[in-house]
Amino acid sequence: MNLNLSEEQVMLRESAGRFLAATHDAGQSRDRIPRGAGLDRAMWARYADLGWLGLPFAEEEGGIGGGPADIAILTEQMGAAAVAEPYVDIVVLAGGLIAALGDAGQRAAFLAPLIAGKLVPVLAHLEDGAKGRIDHVITQAVPAGDGWALSGRKILVPAGMEADVLLVSARLGDDIGLFALPTEAAGITRSGVPTLDGGIAADIALDGAIATTLLAPDALGTIEAVIDLAISAACADAVGVMDALLAATVKHCKGRVQFGKPLSEFQALQHRMADMAVKCEEARASALLAALSAGATPALRIRGVSGAKARIGRIARHVAHEAIQLHGAVGFSEEMPLGTWFRRLYAFEHRYGSTSDHLQRYAHVALTPTLRDAGLLREPGAV
Amino acid sequence: MDLYLTEEDIVFRNEVRAFLEKALSPDLRQAERLNPSFLADPGYGLDWQRRLHEKGWAAPSWPAEHGGTGWSLTRRYIFDQECERAGEPHFRGASLKMIGPVLMRYGTESQQQKYLRRILSGDDLWAQGYSEPGAGSDLASLSCKAVLDGDSYVVNGSKIWSTHAHHATMMFALVRSAHTGRKQEGITFLLIDLRAPGVTIRPIVSIDGTHEFNQTFFDDVRVPVADRVGAEGEGWEIAKYLLEIERGGSFAGGMLRAHFVKLCQIAESTGPDGRRAMDDPLVVGRIGEISTDLDANDMLELMSMSGAASGESPGAVRASVLKVGRSRIRQAIAELAASILGPDCLRWDAARPMTPGTGALDDIRKVAPAAYLNSRSQSIFGGSTEIQLEIIARALLR
Repeated sequence: MNLNLSEEQVMLRESAGRFLAATHDAGQSRDRIPRGAGLDRAMWARYADLGWLGLPFAEEEGGIGGGPADIAILTEQMGAAAVAEPYVDIVVLAGGLIAALGDAGQRAAFLAPLIAGKLVPVLAHLEDGAKGRIDHVITQAVPAGDGWALSGRKILVPAGMEADVLLVSARLGDDIGLFALPTEAAGITRSGVPTLDGGIAADIALDGAIATTLLAPDALGTIEAVIDLAISAACADAVGVMDALLAATVKHCKGRVQFGKPLSEFQALQHRMADMAVKCEEARASALLAALSAGATPALRIRGVSGAKARIGRIARHVAHEAIQLHGAVGFSEEMPLGTWFRRLYAFEHRYGSTSDHLQRYAHVALTPTLRDAGLLREPGAV
Repeated sequence: MDLYLTEEDIVFRNEVRAFLEKALSPDLRQAERLNPSFLADPGYGLDWQRRLHEKGWAAPSWPAEHGGTGWSLTRRYIFDQECERAGEPHFRGASLKMIGPVLMRYGTESQQQKYLRRILSGDDLWAQGYSEPGAGSDLASLSCKAVLDGDSYVVNGSKIWSTHAHHATMMFALVRSAHTGRKQEGITFLLIDLRAPGVTIRPIVSIDGTHEFNQTFFDDVRVPVADRVGAEGEGWEIAKYLLEIERGGSFAGGMLRAHFVKLCQIAESTGPDGRRAMDDPLVVGRIGEISTDLDANDMLELMSMSGAASGESPGAVRASVLKVGRSRIRQAIAELAASILGPDCLRWDAARPMTPGTGALDDIRKVAPAAYLNSRSQSIFGGSTEIQLEIIARALLR
């Protein structure tokens, strides 16, 4: 059992922190992407140069061979800097699906250009009426010529307007297959959806759009697992945001003088900030457990990932509320980055399943006699 | 980074399980199930300590040269997890966790020879004499007096909230030996024989009906200078030392999880009124939330342990966060367990120890209301939540 960062991980954390601090001003980040565009290609190219787009992928693919814990180190820094580029959706989720399901030819066609910053794939999976169920897929795939005709409607596809390739989940017989569909194909209608956290998603109507690339005919299990990996990365992002909110709150309270002294000298406020610090530490622990569970067998993976998503969702909201409250009126104005962080945490809570969806998923697995009795240390090869 | 046990860890864990299977008798398990308090009554707690002592396992946190096991931090953690899983009586209080380490660090050789062995064997049971009626969180303002008279100190004053002082043979106490300088400077650490003339112990009954706390009065009690630990005026340093080491090696995860499992067992049982709490989605949601809190607290403990194993000293903030977290979780578990009993939660057994129920599940159900009342003390003793928040705030706002 070892929970200390390696030297390489410390270096990644520090270099990422430095780069993002120099290039991102949390409050301004949403202005770098004018509404109508979903990705700053120039910034994306810089991420490619830094090797970030290859972080999760094997060296043989041109990646760096990082694991979930390494991804989390990077995304935590991204959260604090309120990075607007949808790194998790494009690299971790879509890239992760291609790496897991694609054959050599498909990985060469999609993964290599992704790592080089030349191709933007995204997962189009969520549909109306899902009610939190991951297997709710109505979109149909019907064999047509040397491909499949896809028909259905996908909602809130992240970076959907900017994407070059959609990874579309669709019913193929009794299973759910995953297809790669270039966005210039016919039969695709995309509507831009501005999202609360300053990005642009897309609602996408597919009307017999022909996909010639099938990544896997029975992809649901892998989709679920890679979404869990994305959630663990998102949890780390949320921790970065929480730390940033606390630091901003401390800074504000130390500088703001009312009734003859800084706010930080009022005990009631000291205790509320201390409570925020408690929640930040606890969120950090949850996120680490998620990262160390993302690659584990399903029961342990769900316990770590859904547990973290549910817990961090709950306590992040408290920290966000307190940060605004302790800033007083200025916390409510858009002049400070608080709003950006607040909305980022709100989006975190509701992406990839809500807090209560994940609490249910967690409870289903973690409250069984075997798991609830077991501490966190694992036998190698544990189920 | 990983959470894996090594092969050797697994072998060790199985060895501990096998030992507990044999040595932790049904009546000891039952006594612990029926205990609403945090610490076991010495009546059965010392029995368990002696069985562990025979095996050499009574004090895993002590250095091997003084009777400890010499285990790594991970092994100590695994041992604690297994003992809690098995439902062991909680007997490690002031004797093993406080005065033992103090004597090892600040005691003279003759004090160590005289007292350490007797702690391990259970021949001495120690009570902690820190708090006073006028000095709780503000411990440094204590006023229990010690005046040097020849080769003894004469002690006058009172200590309060000493757990099991009514069973104890000895008390270690912080006393005021001087009034010069800052209030912390005039404090001295004394070892007081509770059978000495002038000692009176008055029971304090808690809101859960248990007598574990006491008030102790000292009326011209003579304490030999040989029973002073450290120099005169060094008492506060020693108290701070205890706080430091407590941060490094105490685990609560095993104990919390054991309580959590009992909560789940109550929720899965069908009560006499025909209801099963686990069928109520609100209860399942609440249990799920507590469980995620518990997982995070476990993780924080492991992170601290990992840091400590590589030589890092756990910061004051991390230690305080852990304390706040563990008391909140303990209270949440106890509160929910008592509230899902249906009308049974009103049944009260005033006997202490409690009368056994009709089986393990019945024991757990009948102790739950008293355990809930007792749990309110978790956020007060050992450094209240408010003091922990002060410590965190001070570090945060520096």
